Amino acid sequence: MIAHFPILVIVVVLLAAPIVPLVGRKNWVFGWYVATGATLLSFLMSLSLLNTVLTDGRISYWLGNWEPPFGIEYVYDPLNAFVLVLVSFLAFMVAVYARKSLEAELQPDRLTPFYSMYMLFVAGLMGMVATGDLFNVYVFLEITSLAGYCLIAVGQKREALMASFTYLILGTIAATFVLLGIGYLYMATGTLNMADLAQRLPDLYQSKVVLTAFAFFTVGLSIKIALFPLHNWLPNAYTYAPSVTSTIMAATATKVGAYALIRVMFTVFQPDFEVTVVHVTQVLIFVSSVAILAGSIIAVAQTDIRKMLAYSSIGQIGYITLGIALMNEIAMTGSVVHILNHALMKGSLFLVVGAIVYKTGITHINDFIGLGKKMPVTMAAFTIAALSMIGVPLTVGFVSKWYLAIGSLDAGMWYLIPVILLSSLLTAVYFWRVIDNIYFKKPEKENADEQTPPGISEAPALMLVPTFALAALCVVFGIFASVPVSIAEKAAVMLLR
Amino acid sequence: MAKRKMKENIIRKTAARLSIPFIQLYALYVIAHGELGPGGGFQGGVILGASVILFILAYGMEEGVNRVKQWKTDVLNSVGVLLYGGIGILCLFLGGKYLQYNVLPVSDPKLASQLGIIGIEIGVGITVAAIMITLFIETARRDEK
Amino acid sequence: MDIIISASPLYAVLVSLLAVVLIGVSGKNPNLRESWTIVAALIKFSIVVSMLPKILDGKIIEYTVFTMMPGLDLALRVDPLSMFFALTASLLWIITAFYCIGYMRAGKEKNQTRFYMCFAVALSGALGIAFSANLFTLFVFYEILTLCTYPLVVHKQTPEAVRGARRYLTYLLGTSIAFQLSAIFLTYFYAGTLEFTAGGILAGSASNTVITIIFVLFVMGIGKTAIMPFHAWLPAAMVAPTPVSALLHAVAVVKAGVFTLIKVILYVFGVDLLQELGLGVALAYVAAFTIIVASIMALRQDNLKLRLAYSTVGQLSYIIMAVALLTPSGITSALIAVMIHAFGKITLFFTAGAIYIAAHKTKVSELDGIGKQMPFTMFAFTVGALSMVAVPPAAGFISKWYLLLGAFEAHQLVLIGAIVVSTLLNAAYYLPIVYAAFFKPVPLGEGTEMHEAPALMVAPLVFTAIGTLVLFLWPTLLFDLAKLVLASVMGGY
Repeated sequence: MIAHFPILVIVVVLLAAPIVPLVGRKNWVFGWYVATGATLLSFLMSLSLLNTVLTDGRISYWLGNWEPPFGIEYVYDPLNAFVLVLVSFLAFMVAVYARKSLEAELQPDRLTPFYSMYMLFVAGLMGMVATGDLFNVYVFLEITSLAGYCLIAVGQKREALMASFTYLILGTIAATFVLLGIGYLYMATGTLNMADLAQRLPDLYQSKVVLTAFAFFTVGLSIKIALFPLHNWLPNAYTYAPSVTSTIMAATATKVGAYALIRVMFTVFQPDFEVTVVHVTQVLIFVSSVAILAGSIIAVAQTDIRKMLAYSSIGQIGYITLGIALMNEIAMTGSVVHILNHALMKGSLFLVVGAIVYKTGITHINDFIGLGKKMPVTMAAFTIAALSMIGVPLTVGFVSKWYLAIGSLDAGMWYLIPVILLSSLLTAVYFWRVIDNIYFKKPEKENADEQTPPGISEAPALMLVPTFALAALCVVFGIFASVPVSIAEKAAVMLLR
Repeated sequence: MAKRKMKENIIRKTAARLSIPFIQLYALYVIAHGELGPGGGFQGGVILGASVILFILAYGMEEGVNRVKQWKTDVLNSVGVLLYGGIGILCLFLGGKYLQYNVLPVSDPKLASQLGIIGIEIGVGITVAAIMITLFIETARRDEK
Repeated sequence: MDIIISASPLYAVLVSLLAVVLIGVSGKNPNLRESWTIVAALIKFSIVVSMLPKILDGKIIEYTVFTMMPGLDLALRVDPLSMFFALTASLLWIITAFYCIGYMRAGKEKNQTRFYMCFAVALSGALGIAFSANLFTLFVFYEILTLCTYPLVVHKQTPEAVRGARRYLTYLLGTSIAFQLSAIFLTYFYAGTLEFTAGGILAGSASNTVITIIFVLFVMGIGKTAIMPFHAWLPAAMVAPTPVSALLHAVAVVKAGVFTLIKVILYVFGVDLLQELGLGVALAYVAAFTIIVASIMALRQDNLKLRLAYSTVGQLSYIIMAVALLTPSGITSALIAVMIHAFGKITLFFTAGAIYIAAHKTKVSELDGIGKQMPFTMFAFTVGALSMVAVPPAAGFISKWYLLLGAFEAHQLVLIGAIVVSTLLNAAYYLPIVYAAFFKPVPLGEGTEMHEAPALMVAPLVFTAIGTLVLFLWPTLLFDLAKLVLASVMGGY
């Protein structure tokens, strides 16, 4: 069976999607069991895949045993095996967390469909990561997008519908762009297999069709990852969606988009295309820097914690694209590692917010006063993740920043260091407001808490464990950074060779 | 009043009763013909779903929902996809790759491929038909809540 | 040079982290909780002392904790330089632990468990800085120290405390991330390593302009030295309870700052490189400016703790100036001042806290005749003040003497002038307090009977005052260590 893990890792989740409504018709809890079990199984399989890739090298799986480039091929190399582990791990963690959180946030009759959609969403993401066929990427992109619109739209407030609709429009434009790009490449080369494209394209680099295709790809995927001027859909989507949706989207969806961008830029097109033909990197460096700063600055101005985290995500995406655009191995390592690191940090932060909403319904930062005593474990997770976002050493945030900064110097662009560090400072500013409120500010009514000592009222263990696990991983991978970094380095070397 | 008129509309009902079997037969033909000629699970599924929609149009929502229970369409939705995925996984157990039909236990590998494709076309058809019906009912019926 | 691989520096760092857990667990039982602090402090000090003979033998203790990523190790190294800071911090922690208990109980402070936990983490941070073997390790502990002292500064949780603590954090975290981290990036990029090496790692690896930029970034980035214009956090942090001000803002945090700067100057840049570029002199002038301005500002403060805070700003710049002179005597002065100033300043802060607890006075103008009510306290204060002004038999005299020698060696007459002027200013803001306390009449309505603070507070401050005198009489240990440092960083001397 191990030989079939490359496909099963996705099929398990994909087939869980129709099974969930079958078993969950009477009671959604069975749907939850299936969803959690499927993601766990998928996570274990992806770990085994990563292990195989690291020891034996690239895996290629032919669907229906049709030889590529005629058949569809699933390819695993250090880059996507790494991303796959990340996606399936977070999907599992969030699934565990979802049980209690969704029960509180959604109407009961929407729970089973939600888990089904959640499975589709995750399967789409994993499929995008695993496939070596460009059209397959589009198919999975649509699966994950459509499921994503549903996951957002079920949010409690009416604004959720509007947010979902905005995302629907922009997401459809993005998907159409990607499809156009695929179409043009197919027109020019007659193939959809990525490896095959990579061989055929260099002769056609001057072709207008290929250039247009590249433009469509970059713009389309930039919308998907919410790169700064194209980020409009993201803040409302994260704010009004159920906590579970915000978490899984913030932690994985944009990351997979970034992965797709890396694939298109460095596997389908080769690095020298960006260097000699289109010079897209300068533009991307500029846009990323603006994204990093703008995201952080706007985040400082937010009073709703989820909006704050959403804008912070927009800034963090800038880090990933910055590392991509610098086009050297150190920065690329930083980018790939940051895909993991940001997923851990943001995942943990959004889970904390979900726990706060579950317990108190508060999302306004000013109302956080005194939470440090009421929910000590949750708030400890928040603090760790926040410190990591700031980039304090021994957390994962520092690792990413280290590689990006040294990578900038290596590219001769010292002026990016102030950008990176300024954004760290801004991150400190907006997170410290929250931490001050949680731990150090006194409630307005002086005597209120003295008369009734604040009892500990933590979120249930099913929510606490995933939240704290992600936060703990921020420290674990911050200390033993060589583990993810060595994989990311392999990926970077492979991409830029 | 409107409902009553609908019920009394005998011409429409009869026309529907006459044509629905043929539509459904045609749908099955399209599905079964998928691996050789134009057509296939999706098109056939749409036609199959259309026949049920015609029934609901002719007999009214009340009667339609009575005949086509929601749980049935829900189950069919899932069953179709599971049929597709199940055949894929069955190939794995028979020693092939995912969706490698020619390993199916039939004398001739070509025939096996054909059977495998018909199998997944049927799966697609079931799901598409069920989805068509669900979509129609969900958009047409008044929200009672 | 002999290198011993031993985990004892790691244990010295970790012992207070272990104490954090124990303190946290026994939060309900104050006596047990405080005894953990004291036990940890004693163990920590004894581990540090146990390493001392080996260091005096000219050996070096190293221990690599783990490799975080290629090129970045969390590694510890004990050398004579680290001993100065480690001995100071760990010895004074014991004394402060007793003082804390007296102060916190007499003041009936809230959140004491959090207080003791953060205090213990801060000591781990301080020792980590002392023992760090490379810039990365140093930066890690530098940030830990910043973050874990924040709850201590904000302890009272009043709006005023939150404001002060915010400023504290803004300056320290801001400068360290914006400047120090940039400097570390650049150092790593150009030198290819972050290892502290006697004689420096940057020489010849980059152009003079780049090295100058890195130097400026380091000086600005080590905000804990409170060199102007990055000094404003120190007065702001005086909102903290007095033991915190005493240990952290007279000893651990600010000394961590100057220690980091000394380490960077001697082990990243190297004496020769800085001399060649003339950067040492430039830094010395900035330090001189800071000394004079801080002394004048200290004169204008009526709040006792604020006056002490500005005095600290000035005194720290003495150390910076001393090391920036890059001469043997200058460096000696900087090294021994790390310990000498710590003893003097902690005494002064202890007395400020004792006066606050016993007499509820915080202003200099209220101290008339207090010497009769609190003779022990004011005796200690006098010793501390004399040490600051550099009058024998207080130890401050030795460090200032070497500072002057260093300035002569470097032929910096302007700096000598600055030292003389600032000494006069020091006298001008310290001695009137002593005079008022002992020779001015007690204000009407107050008795002249003795009214000291609790014994747990008075004993520590008397102890440190005596320590200040002892350091003057037997400074052998300091000089032995300083000689070892000089031998490694300056070769021939």
